[in-house]
Amino acid sequence: MVAFRSTEASGRTTGLLFRCVLYSLLALALIVVDKRYDNLGKIRRLLSVVAYPVQIAVASPFEGWHWLRDSVTTRDVLRADKTKLEAELRVAQFRLQRYEALEAETQRLRALRENTAGVTDRFVIGDVMNVDLDAFRERVLVDKGASDGIYAGQAVLDSGGVFGQVARVGQLTSEVILVSDAAHAIPVQINRNGLRTVAVGTGDTNRLKLPYLPTSADVVVGDLLVTSGLGGGFPAGYPVGTIAEVKRDPAQSLADVDVKPAAALDRSRELLFVWLKPQAAELLPPPKPTPVPKK
Amino acid sequence: MMRETRIRRLPMALSALVALALAVLPLPAVVDAFRPDFLVLVVFYWCIESPRAGGLSLAFFSGLALDVIHGVVLGQHALALTLMGAWATNLRLRIRVFSMLSQCLVVFALLTGYQFVLFWVDGATGNPVTTFSRWLAPFIGALLWPVLLGVMGKVHER
Repeated sequence: MVAFRSTEASGRTTGLLFRCVLYSLLALALIVVDKRYDNLGKIRRLLSVVAYPVQIAVASPFEGWHWLRDSVTTRDVLRADKTKLEAELRVAQFRLQRYEALEAETQRLRALRENTAGVTDRFVIGDVMNVDLDAFRERVLVDKGASDGIYAGQAVLDSGGVFGQVARVGQLTSEVILVSDAAHAIPVQINRNGLRTVAVGTGDTNRLKLPYLPTSADVVVGDLLVTSGLGGGFPAGYPVGTIAEVKRDPAQSLADVDVKPAAALDRSRELLFVWLKPQAAELLPPPKPTPVPKK
Repeated sequence: MMRETRIRRLPMALSALVALALAVLPLPAVVDAFRPDFLVLVVFYWCIESPRAGGLSLAFFSGLALDVIHGVVLGQHALALTLMGAWATNLRLRIRVFSMLSQCLVVFALLTGYQFVLFWVDGATGNPVTTFSRWLAPFIGALLWPVLLGVMGKVHER
């Protein structure tokens, strides 16, 4: 029954305790330094380059499958897609007609308030890599890193709304923490009445919470939540989610509000990394031309 | 002696790499919580099979790789794997004469200890993961131990 074959294991392993203590202390030191002083950004960045081949190797069969599926779609499907996209484009262009005017008006109003925070400047599109990070945390790995100018804390959007923010930057990849992660919070306001609060993740991809609203707060199911731009991390005015459920217990001082995220947190494959204007002017080199998405 | 250890390093490194790839292989969310810690099992195997070829170093660096790939505090998995790898090395002579069932139970204990260290470091660094599903992995891992023994035995014969 015994499947071990080498006789070597019957010898003494000299210094097992010593090596165990040595490695454990090393690991503990790493934990402390990483947690307390956050000095390991560089080392981590280098290590992430080493991990990159493994991640690529795991992701590439899936990428290949996607590519294959894309390339064998029939002409009919493509034509149908094209008609649909053209129709969508018409609607979008129709809506866009007013955009320039509104943008200018917003700028004027903001200038009046001497507050230009939360205006997006440029963006880069990143692809979610087909790699699972941690089953118990809401994070994804994206194929853009420090070499593309990504920085920690950067806001990440998808086509539906706010997706999350950059938690950690590697040289070639970066880790994005989703708005639904239990450790994530985002300043929001209710679009209908401007009520400001904070939306906190739950660890469940399809649910956020508003834990700081009083029972008497003016929230109804269906209200749209947008980013408030307070705190400076996220651009203002992007959809975060819609109110899915409001539970008011008169005995409690705070209401129990559930939010359905606007972004397709579990499905999006292309993400938008955005730069905010004021920070961009101070911290970043002059903007490169925005890369065109691949598809 | 020298030659033997050098020969044994290659399957060691290769199996660790494959296990690392399995650790990041995308799975549906439902199955994801049940994903066993492949790399940990492989490290245990090498700690028991040939401790002098550097099982403990393998444990430490595999742990570091897991830290980087999972994006957690650097050193967390390294600490857990080092401690449990040392324990496995210490128990290796007994484990080799155990019946398969007892082996699985020992592996279960080792994997639970591993999860516990992770759990403790998670809590100590201020981002606790409190779902119960994390305690499932040791079960699955222990059930997988006989399979791993078979596969690794084949690898080793080459």
